[in-house]
Amino acid sequence: MTEWIRYTLPAAAIAAATSPAYAMQYLSIEEAQKQAFPSASHFTELQAGRVWKAEAGGRAVGFFIFDRVVGKHLYIDYAVALTPAGAVHSVEILQYRESYGGEVRSPGWLGQFAGKTSASPLKVNSDIRNIAGATLSSLHVTEGVKKVLATYAGRLK
Amino acid sequence: MPDVSNRIRRAKPLLGTFVEIEAAGPVRSVVNQAIDAAFEAVATVHRLMSFHAADSDVSRLNREAFDRPVMVHDWTFGVLEASVALHRQSNGIFDIATAPILQTLALLPRFDDDAPVDERTYDAVELLEGQMVRFRQRHVKIDLGGIAKGFAVDQALNVLRGAGRIDSGLVNAGGDLAAFGADCQLVDIRHPREPSRIVGQVKVSNEALASTARRFDLFRSGQTTGSAIIGPGRLPPTNGIDGVTVRAASCMIADALTKIAMISGADSAGLLERYRASALLINADGDVQISPDWQYAVYLAA
Repeated sequence: MTEWIRYTLPAAAIAAATSPAYAMQYLSIEEAQKQAFPSASHFTELQAGRVWKAEAGGRAVGFFIFDRVVGKHLYIDYAVALTPAGAVHSVEILQYRESYGGEVRSPGWLGQFAGKTSASPLKVNSDIRNIAGATLSSLHVTEGVKKVLATYAGRLK
Repeated sequence: MPDVSNRIRRAKPLLGTFVEIEAAGPVRSVVNQAIDAAFEAVATVHRLMSFHAADSDVSRLNREAFDRPVMVHDWTFGVLEASVALHRQSNGIFDIATAPILQTLALLPRFDDDAPVDERTYDAVELLEGQMVRFRQRHVKIDLGGIAKGFAVDQALNVLRGAGRIDSGLVNAGGDLAAFGADCQLVDIRHPREPSRIVGQVKVSNEALASTARRFDLFRSGQTTGSAIIGPGRLPPTNGIDGVTVRAASCMIADALTKIAMISGADSAGLLERYRASALLINADGDVQISPDWQYAVYLAA
């Protein structure tokens, strides 16, 4: 039978591990708009930084709403694309930040992601970290989408 | 020669978690279309195998499969075939028919007409010709939460691989992930007790990785709570293992094997070997155990 290799991690060594606060920039607002409504030729801002009307040939093909859910440890920017009739067309996570305590304000942590815009493609393998070992609940986003629907569906023209 | 590769990473809320899909290829629009199609595959798995949605294959089986054989989608049938094989190979430790117990423990919702059931069944699911499924006992209810996420990752990765003009891809469904292509991905393994710390990093290349742990809820506190994994005798495992990460060729197999390793601990070595998988066990005392064939890819925090 196979023998397991056993390691003992001294408590100090665990404590000294890199602070795993994560942030992930996925699509920019502009990219997510194009992705949600590829046929749209123009996006009219109805509410600054928050609500856009997607238009093609002078007709509305849908609405794009930017929102943010703030939890205790998680800050998530996401976008909901609505059909002209006000149904959810798609949901896309745009940015995700996770922190514990004050880590989010640490300049070193922020510096890790400075200058990462859509124009400078992320070198994911070296810069951006993959996470395993925890299933993060998407409940807050699901609740946020319901809130967006309750606020905007049927009211946008 | 291809131009500069376009690497795109997107995320959507699916399967009750955040599913990240990354792909790289020479043409940006092609990469985005492939990612859309891969997300669609995950959404299809979600629709077919949700315990919560009344019209999913799983819900139809739970309502009707004792009274009459029920036909399911070939993806659902594939997951059930793997589940039955794992159930037998693990002598019943891997068991998709534990839904009533999870309902009793409030880990799954209870529906109005559900009778409270306590007994544990063996080999409760019978697979028939023509993608038909029958339950051998009344009150059996299945939940594919221990395997479907891994299957969804495999399906999404297959879509990326088959899309054409995609050089590499990664699908990560809340820690169950798989990658293909020349790139080697580094994956951080969280400490299950202290999620703000990492135990180490694992190199992943053209293979799958799945992790499971005692539950903790990042929205409420960093502290772990009880485990959502039920061992024989209805109890959470008491073997002193806090978390498990498994490497395998398929994410579905890796996902399911984490549940077995969480319950059986080091005794799962034989089964892991049979499935050509490796594991990293994080013990409550801080020790880490690694399959000997996997050390080369694991970098522990030092």
